[in-house]
Amino acid sequence: MAAILDVLFIGRFFPKVMAQYDESSQKLTIKLVYYGPALSGKTTNLMRLHDILTPDMKGELMIMETADDRTLFFDLLPLGFRAPSGLLIKFKVYTVPGQVIHDSTRKAVLSRSDGVVFVADSQRTQSVNNGESFENLAANAARVGLDFQQLPLVVQFNKRDLPAILSEQEIMARWEKAPWPVLFSSALTGEGIIETFKALLAAVYLTCDRLYRLQSDHGLDCDSFIAQTLGGSLSSAKG
Amino acid sequence: MYDFQSGGDFERDLNLDELLKGIDKSRLISALNVLLDTTVGVVDDTGASVIGDNSSKTVDRVPLHGELEPVGFLQTRTAVPSERLSAAADLMQLILRCNARYLLASDIHLQTQRDDFEELQRRNVALQASEARYKKLSESLEIRVKEQVKTIEKAHLKLYRNEKQASVGRLAAGVAHEINNPLGFIRSNVATAASYLESFYEFNALIDNGASSKDLRKVWEERELSLLLDDFKDLMKESLEGLDRIAKIVIALKGFSRIDQTETERADIDTIVRQICQVAESQWQQKAKLVLELSSETPIQCQSAQLGQVVYGLLGNAVDAIETNGIIRIRTAVRNGAVVLEVQDNGRGIPETVLPHVFEPFFTTKEVGQGTGLGLTVCHDIVKEHGGSIDIVSQIGKGTRVTVNLPVHNAIQNPKES
Ligand SMILES: Nc1nc2c(ncn2[C@@H]2O[C@H](COP(=O)(O)OP(=O)(O)OP(=O)(O)O)[C@@H](O)[C@H]2O)c(=O)[nH]1
Ligand SMILES: [Mg+2]
Repeated sequence: MAAILDVLFIGRFFPKVMAQYDESSQKLTIKLVYYGPALSGKTTNLMRLHDILTPDMKGELMIMETADDRTLFFDLLPLGFRAPSGLLIKFKVYTVPGQVIHDSTRKAVLSRSDGVVFVADSQRTQSVNNGESFENLAANAARVGLDFQQLPLVVQFNKRDLPAILSEQEIMARWEKAPWPVLFSSALTGEGIIETFKALLAAVYLTCDRLYRLQSDHGLDCDSFIAQTLGGSLSSAKG
Repeated sequence: MYDFQSGGDFERDLNLDELLKGIDKSRLISALNVLLDTTVGVVDDTGASVIGDNSSKTVDRVPLHGELEPVGFLQTRTAVPSERLSAAADLMQLILRCNARYLLASDIHLQTQRDDFEELQRRNVALQASEARYKKLSESLEIRVKEQVKTIEKAHLKLYRNEKQASVGRLAAGVAHEINNPLGFIRSNVATAASYLESFYEFNALIDNGASSKDLRKVWEERELSLLLDDFKDLMKESLEGLDRIAKIVIALKGFSRIDQTETERADIDTIVRQICQVAESQWQQKAKLVLELSSETPIQCQSAQLGQVVYGLLGNAVDAIETNGIIRIRTAVRNGAVVLEVQDNGRGIPETVLPHVFEPFFTTKEVGQGTGLGLTVCHDIVKEHGGSIDIVSQIGKGTRVTVNLPVHNAIQNPKES
């Protein structure tokens, strides 16, 4: 009942506008969100991105955590570069707090997002938490008026370095029918972090290009969109 | 767009003014003045002055970065070594970033609070709506229950009337038996008497033919005409008594059958008891002896037919309780301004668990088809209408005593049947 009301009411206040395009300052702001159960490694993902990425503009990583390293409100990493047209492409990459009690905050952070990485914990013991969190993602997406079927989404199975994890075959068997790319990572070492981010950027580019004609109006194709976001040394596509 | 009112959307880009919120600007600028040893000013990204003196021409300028893009510039009146200038800018950026963290946290806190509150309000509205629905439902339920109760009451009333009617029917059957008895012997008496008449006609013929008195005497004795005459007298007497009895039964029945009676009259309970016993005798004849100890002798204002029904009902129950060789006592008396009627039997008695329920409608211990369970309820209601009370004591295997108290001076209260 409440969920239906949410969709009816909030859906009206949050029109499904992809990205924030500010014509006067020639700026397109794209909001990306790392979602997932508590302690799955969302904040660690963002820290690695901050370490590795070298776009033209990279803000400081803002981490809001409690004493025991749990994210309280969100973490934020701003990134940016200019398209050949002069358009500033700005990314705001957020993590949500994974703990169940922070659902209101998770909902607020998720709202109006343009792409989501779902960070799952590969450990066998975490399967239930992963499932519940994914359901929570779908439910909150509906509550904030996001079309979950259309939302660019990438699934990342993190902590591959740990023992007692689900095998890749097991995971792929389970996610076989899902329409989303599934990637494997170890955020602690940085392995798979960039691949995950690239997969998300590719999906996000499609919707942004459709809405804001990045290719035709701003001279920005998918490869250079990704390459410029990652920055110099990381991408062979650049230059 | 969603209107986030005062707090603002935590995602929005904060401008310099907002980033300096809550910071003592004059202290900040004088610290910068001392550190850089010149006059320092800060302008925002549009060039508008934010803190310090930005009026006259500036020499050096360094950007202040917000999240990503510059939100303003730090500028000095005189030249400052570039590393010192950027160190000062860095210092200020640290301050701004600290403040940004606080602002973001408070903004998202406000936003979630507001969302939660709105959510609560929506739930409240939904709750009120469902509450209203339930209220309406419960109201219509009440109406439906009332209708049901009415239907049940109607059915109850009908059964109640039927029970009264049925008791009259049972009585009628008894009465037929009562009347058949005298009718039978009256008929046989009259037939016998008629056959005697033949002998007297023959004797009369002898007289007409001028028979001698000696002959006549002879015939009179031969035919035992004296005996016939005596017997004839007895037969007539017995028949008259039988007719009287039938007449009495008819009178009693007339009074007793007025079950729809509404008007009251003066009647005494002793007479009513006698009349009922008269018409109902066949009911106990086989298995019980009836002992009447009637000494009330006080007429009361009452519906006599209704009281007759009470007596008939109690008597019927007493008879039903007895298997064989019973004694039924009906006593009447006046005690404490009330006429008391007691019907006592030495029958099987009523179990303790059943006793509290015997006046309840439809409660019956008789087999299905034997009674509606309204007998004692009807009695109870009639007694209540007369302003009286009815009590029952019973002991298993010893018998039952029902006591009815009817006030002598008490106008009858709203009769139930009409
Ligand atoms: N072994 C291993 N540990 C990891 C990996 N990724 C993260 N961790 C550890 O897991 C713990 C939680 O990581 P976080 O990134 O803070 O988790 P989170 O998803 O942000 O958690 P919340 O903020 O509570 O939702 C930390 O101790 C990390 O060092 C990984 O790939 N392998
Ligand atoms: Mg975190």
